[in-house]
Amino acid sequence: MNKTHAPNIAGVVLIAFFMAFPFVYTADDYPYIMHILITGFFYAILTASWTMLAGYAGQFSFGHMGFMAVGAYTTALFSHYIYLTPEPTNFCTEFAFGDGYLIVLDPIGVTSSTLKQDCLRQAMEVWGDGVAVTPMPVWLGITLGTLMGGIFGFLIGTLVLPLRAAYLALFTLGFSEILRAAISAEIAVTRGQAGIELPALFQDGVTLFGKHFDKTDKLPPYFIMFFLLLFCLGLLGLLAKSKFGLFVRALREDQDAAAALGVNTTRYKVMVFVITSMIAAGAGATMAHYVGIISPNNLVILQMSLIVAMAVIGGVENIVAAAVGAILLEFLLEMLRNSFQIGPVEIDMTVWRLVFFGVLLMLTLRFSPKGLLVPTIDYFLRGHIGKETVAKRGQNKPDDEPGSEAVN
Amino acid sequence: MKKIVSVVGIAAAITLSLSATSANAASCPIKIGGLAPLSAPGAVGGGEAMRDAMMFAERDINAAGGVLGCKIKVVIADTEGLPEKAAGIMEKLITQDGVVAVGGAYHSSVGVASKDISNARKIPTVFAETWNDTITGDKQKYIFRIAPLSSWASGTIWKSALLTPGLKKVAIITENTDYGIPAAEETAKGLASGNVDSTTFGVDIGTQDFSGIIERVKATNPGYIIVLNTGEAGYNFAQQAADAGIGPQDLPFQAGQVALESKAWWENVPDGNMAFVQRIGTPVSLWNAKAIKLNEDYKAKTGKGAIESYALEAYDSIGILAQAMIEAKSTDGDKIVTALENISYDGTLGRIYFPYGTKKDPSADGKGDEWWHQWPDVALTMIQYQKEGQDSTDSPIVWPDAYKSGEAIYVK
Amino acid sequence: MEFSGIFWGVIGWMIFWGVTGSIVSRRVYLHKDLDTSNTGLVGSMLGAATGPVGLAFLWMKTPEITTRMMLFPSLATVAVFMLTFSISDPGNLCVTNGSFVASQISNGLIIGIIYGFMALGLTLIFSILGVVSFAHGEFYMIGGMITYFFTTVWFPELGPIVGILAACISTFILGAVFERVFLTPMYTGKVDRPVEYGILITFGLAFTLQYFIQATVGANPVKAKRFFDFPKVRLPSAEDPWLIKTSRGNMELFDTISISNPRFTAAVMCILVFLALMYFLRRTWTGKALRAVSLDRDAAAIAGINPNKMNMLAFALGSMIAALAGAMLVQAFSWLPQVGAIPAMRSFVIVVLGGLGSIPGAFLGGVIVGLVEAAGTGCIPNAQKAASYIPAYGMIVLTLTLLLRPTGLLGRKYASGTHGKV
Repeated sequence: MNKTHAPNIAGVVLIAFFMAFPFVYTADDYPYIMHILITGFFYAILTASWTMLAGYAGQFSFGHMGFMAVGAYTTALFSHYIYLTPEPTNFCTEFAFGDGYLIVLDPIGVTSSTLKQDCLRQAMEVWGDGVAVTPMPVWLGITLGTLMGGIFGFLIGTLVLPLRAAYLALFTLGFSEILRAAISAEIAVTRGQAGIELPALFQDGVTLFGKHFDKTDKLPPYFIMFFLLLFCLGLLGLLAKSKFGLFVRALREDQDAAAALGVNTTRYKVMVFVITSMIAAGAGATMAHYVGIISPNNLVILQMSLIVAMAVIGGVENIVAAAVGAILLEFLLEMLRNSFQIGPVEIDMTVWRLVFFGVLLMLTLRFSPKGLLVPTIDYFLRGHIGKETVAKRGQNKPDDEPGSEAVN
Repeated sequence: MKKIVSVVGIAAAITLSLSATSANAASCPIKIGGLAPLSAPGAVGGGEAMRDAMMFAERDINAAGGVLGCKIKVVIADTEGLPEKAAGIMEKLITQDGVVAVGGAYHSSVGVASKDISNARKIPTVFAETWNDTITGDKQKYIFRIAPLSSWASGTIWKSALLTPGLKKVAIITENTDYGIPAAEETAKGLASGNVDSTTFGVDIGTQDFSGIIERVKATNPGYIIVLNTGEAGYNFAQQAADAGIGPQDLPFQAGQVALESKAWWENVPDGNMAFVQRIGTPVSLWNAKAIKLNEDYKAKTGKGAIESYALEAYDSIGILAQAMIEAKSTDGDKIVTALENISYDGTLGRIYFPYGTKKDPSADGKGDEWWHQWPDVALTMIQYQKEGQDSTDSPIVWPDAYKSGEAIYVK
Repeated sequence: MEFSGIFWGVIGWMIFWGVTGSIVSRRVYLHKDLDTSNTGLVGSMLGAATGPVGLAFLWMKTPEITTRMMLFPSLATVAVFMLTFSISDPGNLCVTNGSFVASQISNGLIIGIIYGFMALGLTLIFSILGVVSFAHGEFYMIGGMITYFFTTVWFPELGPIVGILAACISTFILGAVFERVFLTPMYTGKVDRPVEYGILITFGLAFTLQYFIQATVGANPVKAKRFFDFPKVRLPSAEDPWLIKTSRGNMELFDTISISNPRFTAAVMCILVFLALMYFLRRTWTGKALRAVSLDRDAAAIAGINPNKMNMLAFALGSMIAALAGAMLVQAFSWLPQVGAIPAMRSFVIVVLGGLGSIPGAFLGGVIVGLVEAAGTGCIPNAQKAASYIPAYGMIVLTLTLLLRPTGLLGRKYASGTHGKV
């Protein structure tokens, strides 16, 4: 068989592996491993979409966690403040809606006691048990979050049109920082650093194939996140292969030349921002519901640097490699939490693991700029290229050799 | 084809090795989880103090013969101060490390986010330094707390402030977190009940330069300043206020909790004399042998001036769980909870017990839900540094009268 | 309530005409086939300050845009903004209390000078290498740490100068080594996109350094002792020192402005080093060579300057400047491994505001950012939120700059030969 198929086969095997994993793995730490994998998928989605933005389109945005947070906070605020009731509360802001009333809660902020109550609780005390209050469906919140991500992506994409390289990085960093400061400061609404709580993905549990899963069970969120990842990878992959991908790459290589050749650079630049932000926001909203809480600490620059590092180490110009890299690295980072001893010296891995991570990031960038996974894949894809072609490709070090791409 | 195996195989190999290691849970040593923030954005200084104290707890318990014929092992877990990490960390402790109980925890938001997990998995959890009322307010069976309640601790702050002669106006500086904001609200309310006006100034955590906000504080002409900042911001504000002429030596000044760490306080705030600080735990003069010994060990290990209150709490959170297991003669969650509800544990903080729980609801005594599984005797005192370079443990206690060991000096 | 009503109404009006002005002016100038490079700025500022009146004038006359035409509408906009603020909130301290305003301004100026100095390093690196160093904050942090250990822990008897020198030398070496090992591929075309590579690799360095320091030093806040005590001065007389009054740690001018000792020494030191640096850049051969490379790399190479050496020098020097800022401030602020993040962001803002690559621009930008932060902290009516937004003030300045004048106040269009394109 042809070597060229190897990466595809590997992909299929990988998908099969992740599909089967929850059913074959039975150790005691099952929920924890599942949690890491779900988190890994989440980072994989963010990393893949960031790769589209940075690696393909050349827009090195540092605001990706910002878009993620836009999605998460939209659905958090939506599920936190809006309810449906059959009767008016007479305490809250409310609108007639179909047969019932749409209730908008008053923000009460972070209170130290559980006794302070919002208007709905006050109303419920008056009602007693007779009145059923319906929370908003989770899927609607996630959809709204995704749309809001798109809107923000459009705005930021439009604003950064004239900016390139360093300016773009700084501007998006600024966007993320303003968002973080605002969420931290507006405690009455967002609950600030305490984080805002969200209902679980399936608050009442879910029944699949005749088996009931509780809201804390990991299987349903696992597959939701996994399918979301597959969907995003599929979408990004299609886009990358289509005309869109071609134009977006042209944008990266030389914006002016692309414009001169008739590519509507404005449109594509904004579009790539909208698409990737929507993906980030959707992932953020889903993840927030899974974790059950979201706080502005997700917006600190360190979290963004994780995405960047994952993308770089996986391979910043290959969406799938970046995603797989993200899952592997998330796994590695979690596994490296435990301290260990070398002779008399105890190495406290909680801190040192991040040092190693940083060093790995730098070394990858310096010595294998296409990431650690992409060269492996390239090796198979280019296995059929004649030896003389490879030889012609420069007197680079063997490490760099598979990296010199034909696209240029 | 060989390479495919390596591509796919990595994940599979990790999985296999994991399932192999986690097979031998639920036997000796007995594992107890210890939560502490050990990397940013968490309060790493506080986390490291708690980690050290919990390691001492492990050592002391094992030296005393362990639990149920086993040695115990405290598995430290880094929460990073992030509520969204907290749930995963709790999950890891319980399902991967196989802990039978959990102690520690510093940030309230971490406590709020992780308590549901341990409760759902029936793992008894004694929170050490999470003040937010909601943690016990949800009346969960497996959740206990030995830290003071936020609403109650604020009482110390404003009641002692009200003793200042001729006080009319107070400036409250708080970090905008789930610790600072509720505490500031409670304090403002309490002060208002004594007819004292207050203005609250919020700052973002990580703020270094307070000069602008200090000018504003100065312009309101306060007679008393209360700082509710944790971490290095507590030092930065105090010293910069002193530079600007509204420091502890210029007007009555209540510093943040970090001021208790005397060595760091005098290094970071050389002009910090006369500052008031809220202190948790019994006064040093009343310390039992356990606390004195721990303090000596702790000082020797960390090189700090004295042990912090959250380190004491962390130590006791592990100790009380070990004793509960001994009394329950089991590591079963339900049995430990029963033992905890009936416990009388002599810890470094004093005698710890939980009067309210499944046996007796807090409402039976007209108390709010937040008193559920809450230790009611946390000693809250106000101390004042009265000599430069003084240790917080040697400084006179100026409030409340029950513990008083010196008179407060109100400067100006 | 009334405050928000009037204030937001006027702000809305200003924004509306500002946006209209910037978009339409560009169209109008384009239509008449005139230079449009600065129409956005002039249009928006004129629109914001004067509304439709000024814009109508601009669109009819379409005068050639001069520096003066950019300056006056901008100042007018600031004036209108301040006027609106004072009318809508007449009781605000910033309106009623002169000495409060004076001390806020002096605070802003002093801290702004220090910020500007730190940003200088960033701009120096950018003008030669075309790289925005994301590790700038970490060099600042390391400078402070080394100074702390030298002056307070290891050799307290040696005095602060030794500590500061040690910080400078070690960060200079660290910067040089890093540049040699990690940045060299940028110049030889080995990397596809050098600018992005530069961002990522310095980002990695920042990540590594911060955690390395945390792992080795720990996370307890530390602080160096005050370097110098003020001598006791009372002027004009000891009884009534209205002009100047000092204590060990503080100086009070005119009975209103108080300046703390660490800040004062830091600011003075920054100005001195700035002057020395200017002398170095303008009078010495190496300095001239550096400037030559920043202007035209190829021409400089032809003239016998080795641009590679200049790259190394610039990165090392720029990192050293950040470290020096940290070394001066470790006596003013408590120091932690995470301490670099906020000053780094602020440096980015300053550098963009002043113009990437412009050295006087960095200083001007620093002062402006210092003043804006002081104004924001001091004047926002809600005391609970004013200081919570400190990190955002600078970012708002950054956003406005990038939107209105991406080249910055004093920026050149092309800061560095090949890869610094805006």
